Amino acid sequence: MINDKNSQKIVDFIQNWARKHSIWVLAYGTGCGAIEIPPTMTSRYDAERLGVRGAATPRQADVLLITGYLTTKTLKRVIRVYEQMQDPKYVIGFGSCTINGGMYYDSYNTIKVLDKYLPVDVYINGCMPRPEAVLSGFAKLQELIAQGKANGAQKYKDNLDWYRENQKKIIPNWVMPEYNW
Amino acid sequence: MDELKTKIIERIKANFQDATENNSFNYNRLDFNVNKTTVPSILFYLKDEMGFKHLSHITCVDWLEEGELELIFIVWSPVDKIKVFVRTRLDRENPVMDNIDMIWRQAHTYEREFREMFGIQFTGLEAPQDFLLEDWDGPPPMRRDFHTEEYASETFFERPGREDAGDVREEIIKRSGEEIPDFAKKYSR
Amino acid sequence: MDSIWFKLLGVVVSFIVAFTVGMTYMGLSRKITARVQNRKGPPFYQNFIDAMKLGSKTSAIHHGVMQHFGPAFLMVSSVMSLMIIPVLNNGMWFSNLNFHGDLIFLLYIMVFGPLGMALGAGQTGNPNSAIGVTRGLSQMVGFEIPWVMALVALMIQYHTTSIVDLMNIQVESGTWLIFSSPFAFIAAVLAMLGMFRYSPFDIVGAPTELASGPMSENGGKYLFTMMSSASVFAFAKLTLYVDLFLGGASNLIELLIKTFVIYMIPVLYGVVSPRYRTEQSIRYFWGWPTFFGLLAILYAVFF
Repeated sequence: MINDKNSQKIVDFIQNWARKHSIWVLAYGTGCGAIEIPPTMTSRYDAERLGVRGAATPRQADVLLITGYLTTKTLKRVIRVYEQMQDPKYVIGFGSCTINGGMYYDSYNTIKVLDKYLPVDVYINGCMPRPEAVLSGFAKLQELIAQGKANGAQKYKDNLDWYRENQKKIIPNWVMPEYNW
Repeated sequence: MDELKTKIIERIKANFQDATENNSFNYNRLDFNVNKTTVPSILFYLKDEMGFKHLSHITCVDWLEEGELELIFIVWSPVDKIKVFVRTRLDRENPVMDNIDMIWRQAHTYEREFREMFGIQFTGLEAPQDFLLEDWDGPPPMRRDFHTEEYASETFFERPGREDAGDVREEIIKRSGEEIPDFAKKYSR
Repeated sequence: MDSIWFKLLGVVVSFIVAFTVGMTYMGLSRKITARVQNRKGPPFYQNFIDAMKLGSKTSAIHHGVMQHFGPAFLMVSSVMSLMIIPVLNNGMWFSNLNFHGDLIFLLYIMVFGPLGMALGAGQTGNPNSAIGVTRGLSQMVGFEIPWVMALVALMIQYHTTSIVDLMNIQVESGTWLIFSSPFAFIAAVLAMLGMFRYSPFDIVGAPTELASGPMSENGGKYLFTMMSSASVFAFAKLTLYVDLFLGGASNLIELLIKTFVIYMIPVLYGVVSPRYRTEQSIRYFWGWPTFFGLLAILYAVFF
């Protein structure tokens, strides 16, 4: 009775509805994109009316918002932050730099394709994406969560070896604690 | 301004025989070319005796064709409102320079950066090896014979994209079903 | 009617009421803050959604046994203080488990939760948590003094340490204690600003400065427990203020109106204030609130 398919479907629907309307964002200000977050959160575009709210620490956050280019040095920190977050967790890649390198395509220390290192659920393109684009990215993420398709964290767990191999290619001295997430 | 410049040139040349000046700038700038062994003493003299209290900048130029690296120290006098460039050349294969962070503390940061980005060794610089580049094992990346694009395409993944710069409006309309207004059509390629 | 089962049922019902009302009030405070900042703001039921989401998190990491106990201590302390505070003043419904001398017991039990939380935060090993705990305990030293002074003044003035007796005095005489001992009310309200930890006194869980302080390592279920215990505790405190100073309430509607009026004082004071530093906060509480507390005791002794 409890474990049959229909009741699980109802529970999933309610949980996904709650997750969809309460998105706590850890805005990891890696690059220039962090400057677009204050207008998104404050009175002009007011993301809080959609339930999007800033979280103080990775433990409390649901979404890791990677704003802009990632150098090899910050990639280490981003991976660590991502692994400290609690399931279910999502990643939003923000700006062209996370998609294909953007204007840093020939830089010697910025990575170009983020989804080889971390599972990205939604990309927001543009350089810079304006707050409208950021909100539309959140709307897309909400849509994916409601459908149950935003399962980047599961992908990361399943293909951990592949992700680790890619990460260790960039970070040769791997001195990271193992998290029992 | 001109008397001031000639006065500075006279004092510098009286004290440092190997300094050659370049007074061809018509604003408050004065250049000196010196040997690299003279650099600490001339910077000490400029700071302590002539009132050039402020180190504006240290920069480096890679003269690949001549096989030399040029270090440029820019100092500024807040009293006389004049800036002096002290230039020196280092051997490109084995660039070694004296540490000057006892004159200005902020030179420490510049020196760490030059050690990493140009491979210049500063004798007596006490600092951890890693500064901006962590786990770096390639050549110094700011030298001109370092091909950043080649290195980046070898090291990092690339996302394959289209090569041409053709019009993609039709494709976007087909995929998203979005209507483009008439006035916007003339801007599309 | 005096059966223990009836009282326990009342406790369960008052816990549910406290949870719902506290959560709604916190959501309303977010809405009011947003309107003051010229934003639309989240819906008033946003806190329920947040709580549901936190409860449905599939993983919650912990660093040891004490981290389990920290939020549990908070919850126990909140429920305990709710249990000895009578919600309505007609003595039949929701009168809860109060007894003679419960005002003194309440003084102790209200600091029990933060102390347990401090133990839990210490286990996480996060430096921000440790800083937050020290700040919280320092601030408690600040606001407990006017708060205790206000309550002692009431005890001296009416020769009782029972909340129900104080409520009965107000009902029989027809005047609220806010009029018959105004200085105690002022001291208690100023101490309440610190108790609710809205800005300018949010030095404990400052999100940008300390990464939310003692709760920085707590996610998922732990954060859910803290959130719900905070809302229950908020309701308990507001009900206590209404019981002590505003004559209690004879039905739930009256209670909601009176508690909301009291709740607006820290919220509206908070939305227009930046954050104090720790020593500024303590200096604030040892200034005018303590002065009014002394005045209340003198008033109680000599008049």
